[in-house]
Amino acid sequence: MQPDDITRALGPKLGDGLLSVEPFEGTAGRVRFRPESALALFEAVRDDLRFAHCATVGGIDWVDHREVFYVLWSDEAGQYLFLSADVPADAPHIESAASVWPSANWHEREAWELVGITFDHHPDLRHLLMPDGYVFHPLLRSFKLHEPESLEVKSRHV
Amino acid sequence: MSEMWINMGPQHPMTHGLWNLRVKIDGEMILDVDPEMGYLHRGIEKISEDRHYNEVITLMDRCCYVAGFSWEHLYILGAEEALHVEPPERAEYLRVLCDEFQRIGSHLMWYAAFVQDIGLMSPFLYGMRDRDLVLDLFQSYTGARMTYEYMRVGGVRNDVPPGFTDSARKVLDWLTARFPEYDQLCLGSTIFRERCDELGILKAADCVKHGVTGPMLRSAGVKRDLRKDRPYSAYDRLEFDVAVADAADVTARYLVRMEEMRQSVRILRQVLDWLDRHPGPVLADHLPRWLGAPYAPIGNEGYLLKRNYPKGVGFSAIEEPHGEALAYVVNDGGEHPYRVKFRSPVFANISAARQYLVGYHVADIPPIMGSVDVCVGEVDR
Repeated sequence: MQPDDITRALGPKLGDGLLSVEPFEGTAGRVRFRPESALALFEAVRDDLRFAHCATVGGIDWVDHREVFYVLWSDEAGQYLFLSADVPADAPHIESAASVWPSANWHEREAWELVGITFDHHPDLRHLLMPDGYVFHPLLRSFKLHEPESLEVKSRHV
Repeated sequence: MSEMWINMGPQHPMTHGLWNLRVKIDGEMILDVDPEMGYLHRGIEKISEDRHYNEVITLMDRCCYVAGFSWEHLYILGAEEALHVEPPERAEYLRVLCDEFQRIGSHLMWYAAFVQDIGLMSPFLYGMRDRDLVLDLFQSYTGARMTYEYMRVGGVRNDVPPGFTDSARKVLDWLTARFPEYDQLCLGSTIFRERCDELGILKAADCVKHGVTGPMLRSAGVKRDLRKDRPYSAYDRLEFDVAVADAADVTARYLVRMEEMRQSVRILRQVLDWLDRHPGPVLADHLPRWLGAPYAPIGNEGYLLKRNYPKGVGFSAIEEPHGEALAYVVNDGGEHPYRVKFRSPVFANISAARQYLVGYHVADIPPIMGSVDVCVGEVDR
């Protein structure tokens, strides 16, 4: 599958929600899209392009904005596909992919607590690796490794 | 009987690491489960952002403590793509050698721990004994048994010592002769079959839906193996079969892992023959000094100099002993990776716990979770 094939398949459905499809070495390509059309894109990618396996979801803090990326795999194409969307740093949120790929559930929980991206309509958005009540997002560039942090940690089950 | 939540973990023989499985039970029946992770979270992705590219390798060994080589290989492939570096061919074969011996070591560790969970003690001793032979080999060329720090961006640290291939072949011969014994101890045991058959079933469609990969997916009949589907290093030049089973239960996962060890032996024999015939460099020679020194002297010139290196992103995928592992390395031209993201196969396999545990009994949890092969180091990172 080439980037052009992806543009042809997704273009008509998404309109200007699809920003570009770039070549990315070792994968079928990287689809850049507007966060507003996330759900439509996910469904089209799963049903039309047949990427049934959502391998991971992650976030990158670019300081002026944040990027959410999805890595998908298709057994039919034997290829990976990258999806990425830029969300504003002051209100980083995007629709959850857990309704389309249930496997995104935990990966989104991780991206939420570490990179601070909120996934709307996520079935179970709570802390996974960090303790409950943890207010920092460690993978943000503003989180300094060499400075002490202080917080009160709540017990999970009391 | 009333319903209640109980904790299996963080200290419980079933966990094989530090995590907590909250189980909602009614009598002996499992109604719901909620795995709790994070007890071993060290922030490896964050620490990587503060380290030089070759320094991250130290962290990779600690990502999965029974499959350190696989994680080193995963990161190195991503970093090499991000930094536009090509390793020499001999280094690629040496990495496959590491990977496949590591797969055998990891599966033997799994075999020992899993079968002990079911209550069979002898296989535990046999598994640990034979895994030690693999660790001895690792020690002979890396100096370490668990945290190797062997691979480098652009190749590997050093070549194997003289006579290594012969001692490796001896270990392979020994293992090949032991595999029937393992099977006899487990598949020949009525206790094993009664506890494991038709247990923890997760069909192919559910595996794909919930992101389950590796031996669990292949035990459901899906022939997905990244070594075949998206060959990396030297795998496209090696002959092997993908192990599959179709029952999708605990016994099927046992069969898949056993067959994978046999296939690893097959791959390793080809790799050892190739290594005998093709001497050569094991580290690329065109590397900038800050990247190329085999025993990287940190803090020398070059490390602190502002360098002008081309930016890039690297994406790598390998078939780790537990399943599909991914690395995404972003190089923004600075001294450290801007962002490193890892995908752990066990992370996804545990996240689907509700799908393969609900409906069984509390006493079924140890064999089912044993068949998942949990390694908490790579889940929490």
